[in-house]
Amino acid sequence: MSVIYVLIPIAILFVLIGLAVFFWAVRNKQFDDLDKEGFSILFDEKAVANKDKQDPPAP
Amino acid sequence: MSAVYCFHCHEPVPSGTSFQLEFDAKQRQFCCAGCLAVADTIISSDLADYYRFRTEPANRANAIPKELEAELSSFDAPQVLEDISNKQGGLTELELSISGMSCAACAWLIEKQLRQLPAVHQVNVNSTTQRCHLLWRADTTPLSGILKSLASIGYQASPFIADQEEQVFKLELSRYLKRLAVSGIMTMQVMMLAVALYFGEYTGIDASHQGYLRWISLLLTLPVVLYAALPFVSSAWRSVKARQMNMDVPVSLAIYYTFLASAYATVFSTGEVYFESVCMFTFLLQLGKFFEYRARSRARDATSNLLKIMPVTATLLKDGEQQAVSARRLQSGDCILVKPGETIAADGQIISGNSSADESMLTGEYTPVSKSTGDLVMAGSINHDGLLQVNVSQPLASSRLGQIIALQQRTLSQKPAVLQRTDRLAKYFVERLLIIAAATFALWYFWLDADRAFWVTLSVLVATCPCALSLATPTAITCALARLNRNGILIKNAQVLDVLPELTHIVFDKTGTLTEGRFSISDVTLFNSDYSETQALNLIANLEAYSEHPIGRAFSSSLTGKLALEQVNIVVGSGISARFNGMQIKVGSAAFCAVKPQAKAMVYLSADNQLIAAVSLHDALRPEVPALVRQLQQQGYKLLMLTGDSSDQADKLQQQLGFDQMIKGCSPEQKVAEITALVSAGHKVLMLGDGINDSPSFHAAHVSVAMQSGTDLSKNQADVVLLQHNIGLIATLLQGSKAAQRGIRQNLAWSVGYNLIIIPLAVAGFVSPYIAVIGMSFSSLLVVSNSLRLLK
Repeated sequence: MSVIYVLIPIAILFVLIGLAVFFWAVRNKQFDDLDKEGFSILFDEKAVANKDKQDPPAP
Repeated sequence: MSAVYCFHCHEPVPSGTSFQLEFDAKQRQFCCAGCLAVADTIISSDLADYYRFRTEPANRANAIPKELEAELSSFDAPQVLEDISNKQGGLTELELSISGMSCAACAWLIEKQLRQLPAVHQVNVNSTTQRCHLLWRADTTPLSGILKSLASIGYQASPFIADQEEQVFKLELSRYLKRLAVSGIMTMQVMMLAVALYFGEYTGIDASHQGYLRWISLLLTLPVVLYAALPFVSSAWRSVKARQMNMDVPVSLAIYYTFLASAYATVFSTGEVYFESVCMFTFLLQLGKFFEYRARSRARDATSNLLKIMPVTATLLKDGEQQAVSARRLQSGDCILVKPGETIAADGQIISGNSSADESMLTGEYTPVSKSTGDLVMAGSINHDGLLQVNVSQPLASSRLGQIIALQQRTLSQKPAVLQRTDRLAKYFVERLLIIAAATFALWYFWLDADRAFWVTLSVLVATCPCALSLATPTAITCALARLNRNGILIKNAQVLDVLPELTHIVFDKTGTLTEGRFSISDVTLFNSDYSETQALNLIANLEAYSEHPIGRAFSSSLTGKLALEQVNIVVGSGISARFNGMQIKVGSAAFCAVKPQAKAMVYLSADNQLIAAVSLHDALRPEVPALVRQLQQQGYKLLMLTGDSSDQADKLQQQLGFDQMIKGCSPEQKVAEITALVSAGHKVLMLGDGINDSPSFHAAHVSVAMQSGTDLSKNQADVVLLQHNIGLIATLLQGSKAAQRGIRQNLAWSVGYNLIIIPLAVAGFVSPYIAVIGMSFSSLLVVSNSLRLLK
């Protein structure tokens, strides 16, 4: 059973990563509008590349 | 009738029109040129996916008139732009409030359309708040270009400034989300470990493993108690400092006492640990708070469009030249030009021009007031049909509109305070609980068994842990809010549910609340037997379709078939003429139609100067009002009508409906005074209104309700907004609040009763902490499921 001394800390590490990602998503306002994002998958992205990504993030 | 519906807006296509476009290999029909143009733009810009995936039809698109285009360009003046936007390096940042959005596909469409403009750097549309955040290069594309691009796909956008309060709300909401995530994820981890520990109790577990699992649980609980539970602690601390104990005091106490006891047990390897209870309790409370907060902030977002009513721009006349300026910067003595359809930007006196103005926003009276040289006009009123030159007498801030807004800010702080019932209960409960816990500890420590004193005290605290008690009210309120919301009632201030069951007086505004707030046809007199009533009205409607005047809209429902009119000519302030079947048709005032005026009639129809019909108009009572009034009076409410209207229509309504009291010709100040008098006489008052003139009295009343059709300012200030054109919802609201109160009472009765039984047992030492936890969880579950009944 001594394997839990290794596995549990690894599990905690993953939890922390998950939390960090969630915090990042909140800070990026990804939870502001849940309806729109659900829709975005339906629309094909055509030739025009997503311009937002090339711009420096707004401070 | 053939059932052909417009491809764009799904409204019926009028017969005799032909607007067609091919899409997906089919001919599509459109109701009007506006919809056709919008669909054409959308399809040719490669955005046709919108039509494939939208879930709601679009709003009917009206082609932008030339004047509006000119109005849009007034936003381009550097001075105006500076007042409504932020600079970010070479980029300009702006919030737009967008009307005409019906579903999430609209958000996609708008983003796509704007990204096609090279000057736009960043665009983000929020479909729930109907706002658009925009970052673009103002020097290459002016704001009007962006607004026009939106108009070409059928959306009207106007610049918007979020108020301070709203930004604080947003920040707080994201904090709630983070806390929720921390407590939720940690609860899962700690519970997993708790399962291992429970099994260990039964099947045997190495002391070293048990210690390890406990230490890990302690570690994982730390972020919950130190981060996620902080709002409870700070609220508890504030309440202790103010000597007004609230529910957060026992909550924080339970969280921290249980945590410290478990930490003690972990460090010294004795007793029991309850980390999972700490985490779960925090998580459940956070969840309830989060939902309540989100519902409220959504309600706020949907209704806080303040800037829309304040005039933004004005056309300044200086040395004979027109110049777009920011309305806020107008000084007294300036001369401004007001075009038809525009909002008058400042109080002033007309130097030249004739027109009529809609002052309903300020006075509550819907009949347009005719204005000519020398008359005074008010900021915020709408100029209907003539071109006016106005000499500004007051800057915007000290105008009548500014005064009303200032009055409202003042009344804001006078809102009658309602102490939350649970807080009163909490105060009572907490004091006794603390005394009992202290007494138990002393009793066991000094007289019974010093070793067990700590654990018995813990089980007293855990068993009586105010979970159920503190969940009783918020869960019931959240569920009641959700249900009312589904019925079209938006509640922005949850406290109103506390007050509503005790309500005694309901105050109504007249125009726009009891009545439709717009003209409708009341009576048609025919003078020529060649025409039936429908034919005559159809003829009027065909002519009036060319007019923007509010009277014209009264006829839009009488349009039964399109007629071929020629030489349509609009005469400002008088009427419309056209040629039809070789006759000269005129619609308008008696003088314009060259006929003898009839009593009460407002609109005349003549053919070759022969009178055909005279129509009288009125502001019709909403159909559901008489039944509502009867129902409310039966339930024992006192009903009042306070109206700014001083005409005899108010008396007629009073005769018809029989209010307990009616005061007509009320200024906003008088309304506030009337309501304040009622409040100070100890009555609980609800105010229902729709106009700017009602909004100051909203704060004077205990509960304020605004109509969806009301002005943005009133919706922003009200506690409750009715989302449908149906004031019968008031009855639903009252009923819902009573159901909520019943739910809360049941919940409180259960949790108090449970505590009364468990406390003596716990004090006597019969309740082991395990049983205490089970009892606590069970009663919390019972309370939550009872609240869920309110959803149905």
